[in-house]
Amino acid sequence: MISIHKMNKDAQMRAAINQKLIETGERERLKELLRAKLIECGWKDQLKAHCKEVIKEKGLEHVTVDDLVAEITPKGRALVPDSVKKELLQRIRTFLAQHASL
Amino acid sequence: MWRPPRPCPAPRLSPPLRGPRAVASGGGARTSGRSDGLPGRAAGREGLSRQPQPCRRPLCYEQSERRLHKSLQMKMEEMSLSGLDNSKLEAIAQEIYADLVEDSCLGFCFEVHRAVKCGYFFLDDTDPDSMKDFEIVDQPGLDIFGQVFNQWKSKECVCPNCSRSIAASRFAPHLEKCLGMGRNSSRIANRRIANSNNMNKSESDQEDNDDINDNDWSYGSEKKAKKRKSDKNPNSPRRSKSLKHKNGELSNSDPFKYSNSAGISYESLGPEELRSLLTTQCGVISEHTKKMCTRSLRCPQHTDEQRRTVRIYFLGPSAVLPEVESSLDNDSFDMADSQALLSRLQWDGSSDLSPSDSGSSKTSDTQGWGLGSSSSESRKAKKKKPHLGLAGAASGLGASKKKRPKPPAPPTPSIYDDIN
Repeated sequence: MISIHKMNKDAQMRAAINQKLIETGERERLKELLRAKLIECGWKDQLKAHCKEVIKEKGLEHVTVDDLVAEITPKGRALVPDSVKKELLQRIRTFLAQHASL
Repeated sequence: MWRPPRPCPAPRLSPPLRGPRAVASGGGARTSGRSDGLPGRAAGREGLSRQPQPCRRPLCYEQSERRLHKSLQMKMEEMSLSGLDNSKLEAIAQEIYADLVEDSCLGFCFEVHRAVKCGYFFLDDTDPDSMKDFEIVDQPGLDIFGQVFNQWKSKECVCPNCSRSIAASRFAPHLEKCLGMGRNSSRIANRRIANSNNMNKSESDQEDNDDINDNDWSYGSEKKAKKRKSDKNPNSPRRSKSLKHKNGELSNSDPFKYSNSAGISYESLGPEELRSLLTTQCGVISEHTKKMCTRSLRCPQHTDEQRRTVRIYFLGPSAVLPEVESSLDNDSFDMADSQALLSRLQWDGSSDLSPSDSGSSKTSDTQGWGLGSSSSESRKAKKKKPHLGLAGAASGLGASKKKRPKPPAPPTPSIYDDIN
């Protein structure tokens, strides 16, 4: 019973944290930071090249959003360099540490 | 004495117990860990706040651990929502990170999709040859597209309507007139129609002219710049006054030499035009401008004598002043004028007439009303003054009035004569 209770609390916790993220504007800042870093490290260009291949394959007229999302998102996730990932995780942890006890 | 916040004590292997009863011992433990050798102060401080002083330094491991454990205990006591351990926190952090990356990827997908659909996705793949076609031009006299400045001004276009070649800068106004769709085109067209009507019927008598002029007033004259109150009742008695004035303006505009000083140079008029003009307007030639007056036939600036002189001068000694028929209206008749005119008359300005001077216009109006059949004045009798029921006398006078020459208020004294 304690575990179920804990689970609910976890869900609540997550919701509370997400809310805090948005309220303080931290989420936007993190997003911007991530975008800037990805462009800087060339992730966007790599992904764009991949996109071109996909589109040429599918044909320019018949490309849909779903197609693109299905093809590109996994590749995108994989292509994120480690340094960017580490930095972002660090920032998130900091935020959590500051706000998780409140 | 208030002490500044102490530096954090050195990290311990095991965190101190922190419960309600541990506060004091926590204070005590802290005291024991201190190295400044003032036990008394520490003991005294136990009475103060139980929590550590707010520290502005980033959380050190010690303190974050302490807090986490505190929250754990509180959770066990079901007091707070913030129960977490590190692994949970890490999991949450990973989740958040994954969310952010996914957002970025999705945003990127949308951008690409839009570029594909709008057609600019493959823009940077153009071959260098085509790129050269669109390079920025930087020569003097040309814009960045390589076009010559002001080239279009000297160009000529062919009008699709009249197939003439027009200069480009004049093309729009020309087209407006050519197609008859601009703001001024309808005005000009109506004016031309009105004037051609006037010209055609300049020989007819006053009545026909008035007919046409009536139509023109309601339709064409409205477009004149000098717009009188256009909300006049078409049946109001005052219409003839402005009617006449408008006619004067209207017929003077195009066919005659219309000058800004609202006068006509009579040298440019032909005999027909002169006659039509003189039947509708004052026509008296001003001394200093040598132009004909374009005001109504009863304009107060000139006397009837002058008008008669002008007509005789232009049309010969037998010229009949059109005012004979319009005298009945007397709409614009001043009292002063009436007095002057009456004095010219053969009739005696007898005392029984003087109170009726104001009535003179009335009676003449009445005559107009009474006559009805005779002339256009019946239509034009518009004065709202109460008219005397002198129809009988009026009819008799009407006949006699026609034979009489000019005088404006001839019937008036005669009424009284008859009555007397």
